[in-house]
Amino acid sequence: MNETTLDTAESSIVTSSADAAPRRTFELDDTGFKEVPKRWRKFYRHWQGAGDELAPNEVICPVCKVVIRSHREFRPGDRVYCMPCMSRLVVVERPDGRLEADVLY
Amino acid sequence: MRPRPDRDAEPHLLAEEDFLREVHSFDFWFEAVSGYLEEQPFGHDPDLVETPMDDVARDSLITTLCNYCVGETAALEASSGLVRLAPNHHSRVFLATQVVDEARHLEVFMRRLEDLGVEDPEAEIDRRANQGLEDFRSRLLELVDRGDWDAAVFAQNVLLESMEDTVFRFHEQSADEITRQVLVGVVADERRHLGFGENDLGRRLAHDPSGRRRLAEVRAELDPLVLGSFEGVYRDLGIARQDQPELGRHYLDAVERLGLTA
Repeated sequence: MNETTLDTAESSIVTSSADAAPRRTFELDDTGFKEVPKRWRKFYRHWQGAGDELAPNEVICPVCKVVIRSHREFRPGDRVYCMPCMSRLVVVERPDGRLEADVLY
Repeated sequence: MRPRPDRDAEPHLLAEEDFLREVHSFDFWFEAVSGYLEEQPFGHDPDLVETPMDDVARDSLITTLCNYCVGETAALEASSGLVRLAPNHHSRVFLATQVVDEARHLEVFMRRLEDLGVEDPEAEIDRRANQGLEDFRSRLLELVDRGDWDAAVFAQNVLLESMEDTVFRFHEQSADEITRQVLVGVVADERRHLGFGENDLGRRLAHDPSGRRRLAEVRAELDPLVLGSFEGVYRDLGIARQDQPELGRHYLDAVERLGLTA
């Protein structure tokens, strides 16, 4: 995964009240995750367990434990979809500053 | 006809309705399973050579696979019955794909039993089936026959699928290579099933919170049957208690998210 320059054209992708600083954007590589159709594969990867550090554009799906990825750095309030388990999620900030995803029913 | 999302679109940008149409579609299922099952007849690389196994290890694996077959049979029978009960066409189409998944799981586990020298897998499954798992299967089918969508989806797609997911993942780590590849493909399918169950129930309970109390009662009745059965699987795999992952943790996380802990 390569970090790239900010793409302001993407600034309306996901709205968040916490959008104070410009977000970093990322190029996504296919990591070999095959559990969704080809065009969606780069947006997901297998979590390697404890020690697998998440990038700013990644969160773990609490339902199926797959890592969900985006072209853009995540912020609290962002909506994300986990296609492998069909969950709708929202990015939240835990008290220790970590970003995680909560399921939205 | 509604257009499908652009090829380069970020999935998180889809409208909620478009996301559900996409992931519940037969096309999505077909493209997904093609990705990880292509060139893997019966769930594994056909050129793999059997790992040498002593008699005790082979016998334990046979017992374990027989009980996996009991679970998969329960899921196959129940998910096919649930197609009739589904509240909408998205769910009907999704459940039809789950029926195919469960049938494949049953088939690949039975083929694996044959690989291991079992001449009559159906008879062997009957002989080695865990009684608790058989009792769970009967109760699950009663819920389906009664037309109780919520309880049956909870029992099958949340309780059974969560337990299977945990056990199969753990078994993957110590399994011979052929069994491991079979399990990896099954776990990939289970993600869809358990996600469908939790999200469907979550949406329904959000509209009708009164359903929580009844599902909590169903849970209290069925939990011991499934937990006890899969603890038996750990014993069959020869895993010491201190080395076993907490069997119910993944499941209990889902139960907590759904508000069924009371």
